Amino acid sequence: MLKFIITFVLGFFFGSILLASQAFSWYRIQEMFHFQSFHMFGLLFSAIATSAVFLYILKRNKQKSIYGNEIEVKPKKLEWKANLFGGLIFGLGWSISGACSAPVYILVGLHWKIGIILLAGAFVGTVLFALVERKLPKA
Amino acid sequence: MNAPLPWFIAGPLIGLLVPALLILREKQFGVSSSYRFIGGVLLPKIPYFSYHKDGDRWQIQFALGLILSGFAAYHVFGAFDAVVVQPVLDYEKLAMNIYDVKNGLQFFLGGILVGFGARYANGCSAGHCIMGVSQFATSSILATVSFFIGGLIGSFFINPLIF
Repeated sequence: MLKFIITFVLGFFFGSILLASQAFSWYRIQEMFHFQSFHMFGLLFSAIATSAVFLYILKRNKQKSIYGNEIEVKPKKLEWKANLFGGLIFGLGWSISGACSAPVYILVGLHWKIGIILLAGAFVGTVLFALVERKLPKA
Repeated sequence: MNAPLPWFIAGPLIGLLVPALLILREKQFGVSSSYRFIGGVLLPKIPYFSYHKDGDRWQIQFALGLILSGFAAYHVFGAFDAVVVQPVLDYEKLAMNIYDVKNGLQFFLGGILVGFGARYANGCSAGHCIMGVSQFATSSILATVSFFIGGLIGSFFINPLIF
């Protein structure tokens, strides 16, 4: 229950930031891909920089989790064809829907009609991947 | 909606989620595995979905928080439809209400590509762009560059045709 509350609150916090910064918005995503504002780039770069600094500090301090375990951080495996082709497909979807995975959920709460359509689409896409994944070039 | 929360406040707050999830939950920041988890619940017979999904359960809890944030924003601030940023050059004519259901098919198609691409690339803008790039992981840097190339193609060439 505690774990659920922690995760739920962090999700709510993440969503609130994406809403307040308008990063969830289709318009902000188009603006970013048209290089018409620094807003989204600044947001992404500063998020990455903050994360990198904290990852360094956690590692240096050998920080343990609140459950007393060593914190393990693993990079995602390099599968260059999967990262490249999957990335292109994701990028297309991101620009058409103006939403990546988290804003899909935000839109379910905000504009439930389009949100449910998006979530259904994302799930259908996941199922399609699951059906063909063994035939796709990866590494 | 008026001015957005500035990027130099919003960005670092998002970045803080990475250490918060590691310390409080022992999880690496990411969102799109939640779709695989749902597949594991609904369609466990598909091999890709019959995996040890307990490790991804937290993403559904995280997603519920995301949904509620949107729901709360709607009820506190009203429709965010009016989030019209500087009219984007080619989209001026539809800077009114993109989230109208008449655009449902386009959003459904976009959703399919997001879901398929995120699983194929093994991550999305959370897991790759933020979590992965901040680890300087080659896979994530490659995926992020690829996200942007796909996004440029979609935004410049596909959207003007379909919206």
